Amino acid sequence: MSALESGLCRYVLLTYAHSGDSLRRVLDEISGDEAPFGLFGAAGGYALAARRAMHEFHTGPDTWKHIAVGQRQWARLNPRAILRDRPLTLEDYEAAPFLVEPFRLPDNCLVNDGGRACILTSLERARDLKQPPVTIMGLGQHNPSADLYQPGHLTGPTGAQAAFRQALGMAGITRSDIDACQIYDCFTYTVEITLQDYGFFEPGQGAQWFAGGTIEPGGAMPVNTSGGQLAEAYHMGLTPLTEAVMQLMGRCGARQLGPETATKKPEIILCSDNGGVLQTHACCILRRWTP
Amino acid sequence: MGLKDKYAIVGVGYTPQGKVPARTTLSFHLEACANAIADAGLKPHDVDGLIVYRHFPGPTGERDLTPYLLAQHLGIAPTYAYQDAN
Repeated sequence: MSALESGLCRYVLLTYAHSGDSLRRVLDEISGDEAPFGLFGAAGGYALAARRAMHEFHTGPDTWKHIAVGQRQWARLNPRAILRDRPLTLEDYEAAPFLVEPFRLPDNCLVNDGGRACILTSLERARDLKQPPVTIMGLGQHNPSADLYQPGHLTGPTGAQAAFRQALGMAGITRSDIDACQIYDCFTYTVEITLQDYGFFEPGQGAQWFAGGTIEPGGAMPVNTSGGQLAEAYHMGLTPLTEAVMQLMGRCGARQLGPETATKKPEIILCSDNGGVLQTHACCILRRWTP
Repeated sequence: MGLKDKYAIVGVGYTPQGKVPARTTLSFHLEACANAIADAGLKPHDVDGLIVYRHFPGPTGERDLTPYLLAQHLGIAPTYAYQDAN
């Protein structure tokens, strides 16, 4: 946005793509001082944080299974979703093998080939274009630490809390104005800690909040309606961001929020991205533009 | 704040995804970009800013993907090009 705000650019293209073995190398490369003790790769770092959260606020698979199953329900409605034809029940989740304890296979995001892009411009220019504009109401970013092992941050608040406060302030809204969320979901636990840091529920209350289909089609707070990175495809922050845009444009077919999925037609959607291992965070509040 | 509702997202580009053999990272970038440009109803030469999302090290057998390489293949000359490093 600074490229637009400064007047340098009129139309900015934002793109991500991936092929082959590069991501897998990042995920499971045995390197670093901790590797001799068995801790390496992104899954290892997030699993360590999740394990600590199990101790501190008593979360665990009973919370995460609702996220994995809920997102898979959305994927069933999305022709692009890689796991569209692979239904997942709570029993399937509980029977799935561990990848890195405490994460079972369905707790992990996909590793896939493919790409995703989107275009940003001023609202003024957007009005003359083909699609209905989706505006950026609020942005926030907070990076408390690049180091997972600083104990003050291991189980939150991650950067999500301060980033969300900034975004709400810019947008001039409150949490209750948000109709749906598209949350960066490299692991199920990432969705829990992000929504917890955003204040949707108290620490440790995630199991109750997610239970009963809260985030699924027909639920009170739809989350990751493409299937997310767990079940649609991993394109870093562009998986959540582009899904929010398509939902607000009303172009999501069978998974469209609104009467099609017994949910509220969305006016405002919250998106997140995080990096490092869990700590760094950016969030974005989008809305369907109505003059 | 001054930025509220000042900017908008106006197009989205998809590609095949999953296990897609014999495709390079560059080819996925180009397809996603071309589709996003068309989705917005724009032409490639309208694009004057290019932000390439943080990328992982190049896959075995592929050259590193930079905004310069991508701009060249898209046939555009952006005034602003950026890439988040690993």
